[in-house]
Amino acid sequence: MSIYIVQLLTGVAYGMLYFMIAAGLTIILGVMNVVNLAHGAFFLLGTYFAFTFMSLHLNFWLALLLAVIVTAILGIIIEKLLINKLYGKELEQVLLTFGLTFVIADCAKWIWGTEMQTIAVPELLNSSITIGEMVFPAYRLFVVLVGCILAVILWYLESRTRVGAIIRAGVDDRAMVAALGINVRLVFTGVFAFGAGLAGLSGVLGGPLIGMYTGMDSDILVTSLIVVVIGGLGSWKGSFVGAILIGLIETLGKIWFPSLSMLIVFLLMVVVLMIRPQGLYGKVVSQ
Amino acid sequence: MRKTKWKFIGVMLLIVVMILSACGNSGESGDAASQDKIKIGFILSDSGTFAPLSENIKNGFKLYLEQNDNKLGGREVELIFEDDEANPQVALRKYKNLVGSEKVNFLVGPISSSVVYALRDEVEKDKVILIDANAAGNDLSWDLRSDYVIRTSFSNWQNGSSAGSYIANNIGKTAMVIAPDYPAGQEVASAFKESFEASGGKVVKEVYPKLGTNDFATYLTDVSQTNPDVVYAFFTGSDGIRFVQQYNDFGLKGKIPLTGPMEFGDLLIVEPSGDSAEGIVSGIIYSPWIDNEENKQFVEAYQKMYNKLPNTFSVQGYDSALIIDKAIKEAGSVDTEELVKVLKGISFDSPRGPITIDPKTNNPIQNFYIVENVKKDGQVVPEVIETIENVTMPETNPAK
Repeated sequence: MSIYIVQLLTGVAYGMLYFMIAAGLTIILGVMNVVNLAHGAFFLLGTYFAFTFMSLHLNFWLALLLAVIVTAILGIIIEKLLINKLYGKELEQVLLTFGLTFVIADCAKWIWGTEMQTIAVPELLNSSITIGEMVFPAYRLFVVLVGCILAVILWYLESRTRVGAIIRAGVDDRAMVAALGINVRLVFTGVFAFGAGLAGLSGVLGGPLIGMYTGMDSDILVTSLIVVVIGGLGSWKGSFVGAILIGLIETLGKIWFPSLSMLIVFLLMVVVLMIRPQGLYGKVVSQ
Repeated sequence: MRKTKWKFIGVMLLIVVMILSACGNSGESGDAASQDKIKIGFILSDSGTFAPLSENIKNGFKLYLEQNDNKLGGREVELIFEDDEANPQVALRKYKNLVGSEKVNFLVGPISSSVVYALRDEVEKDKVILIDANAAGNDLSWDLRSDYVIRTSFSNWQNGSSAGSYIANNIGKTAMVIAPDYPAGQEVASAFKESFEASGGKVVKEVYPKLGTNDFATYLTDVSQTNPDVVYAFFTGSDGIRFVQQYNDFGLKGKIPLTGPMEFGDLLIVEPSGDSAEGIVSGIIYSPWIDNEENKQFVEAYQKMYNKLPNTFSVQGYDSALIIDKAIKEAGSVDTEELVKVLKGISFDSPRGPITIDPKTNNPIQNFYIVENVKKDGQVVPEVIETIENVTMPETNPAK
């Protein structure tokens, strides 16, 4: 029995990491209509920034905060300098963001080397919780908690604030938002920075779980793109449900059908697309 | 108007420079002096989790060249690096380029055993010497042995069997084995089982997670329910770091001793794992703290050149250069057949201790060191408990 609880909790913990990165990806996609293939690179940078701050003897929490801020600032720079020029040009955007992944990955290799690294679990959470015969690391429960808190924050932002209203409107009808005199450029920059920051957060929190290695950016990007497709473009709620689903299926699949685990994930995507082509929470776009 | 003119002149100049430099290149390769030059082609894996292994092998090799005026066996050396993407098909393509067009004298590499098995048939056919700087597949010394492939690293059999009897005699009699479900995992696990049970131990449970499993929650829960005296695990690279860390996260560290082959005592895993790696007992071939004169000089020179400590793979690269240097000197030529004669049975002093290439298996006879990771001055380091001298691979597969 306890082994199943451990597996479920593990799946949810990984799901929360996917949620954090996919939420940013899906909002960027919904509002800006940009498929940001460089999103995995922000995940990678978040981890490496935190690693650097921690090697300067900052504690985990401070490193976490700084890494998220730096990643978000980097997001602003990239949006202002590069993506800014290509709104409405989907193919060019894909090429640009895809190229960025290589540039960032190689820079990371150059700066931090190819050696694998990890982020140590913070002292406060470096323990395991025993319930009956089940042992579970406190840090994973913490990741689940952060994911839930983030979901609540996103819900509040979306439904209770002006920013949320603008973003919701932006997803539905971008031209109308601009016509209402809202500075769309500013909204875009903000959304992009927010998404980058979330990816960075996911990277830092994933550090003690996944570690850091070259190529982790593309691994995580594929998974989070699947989450976005399953959840529905532009819907963070969809990402939340989709991410937990993928986290669970991946974890359980690796144990029960090890050779099919990746296939099951893709199968789920196919099934969802067949039944609901717009994704679980996506809106039907009429064009 | 003026601006365009300057631009035009600039472009023209650039073209001239490019043509000139191209001429320079072709002129050089037609030089008579280059006949004495030897070419060494590297087939390594530059991406993913194999990347750090390749990087360290290259670093070690380059350090040896640096110390020897860029000469091996008294000849100038040219290095050509290729990336096999850990894929035998890609490796064969790169091989054709290195051997067919570049006409290299030696090949060094690869990281992965599936690549070495693919290359083995080719070098046998083309009669080119391959110095295997890492791939540890057992069959390279047994059924797939070739006179043209000399291994400078170690075999899975050596790696798995080294710590077995120490663990049975000093840590515990019942063991649970965890290793990834691929040839290296199975070879290391079965070598461990053989030596552990020969010393009176008993393997009570074996689990083989699929390769690429990066979360060990299930297996670690299984460990605490099986409750063996000791856990023996084999994981490499980032999987190894994750395993060590999760072993700690799930509260097993300090409760059930964790042991393993050289990977768990190598800096590549020990350094990033931090305190989680403390207490692990493993059988290794190299650490920067092994006490001998060669190692002292090697570590010092390596730190000076790269500003970090060498690991096992750095030494494998260093020894690959050393063995080529020594073989050419002893053979007095770069003729393949002469070199093969010398390489089989060659002895040298490596930073890891004395080494002889066993002519029966083309695999190094070398010392293994039983180490325990202990915390010293805030840093976890492998401390030698016992030296097992001259670990020699059997001539044929003991399981057959």
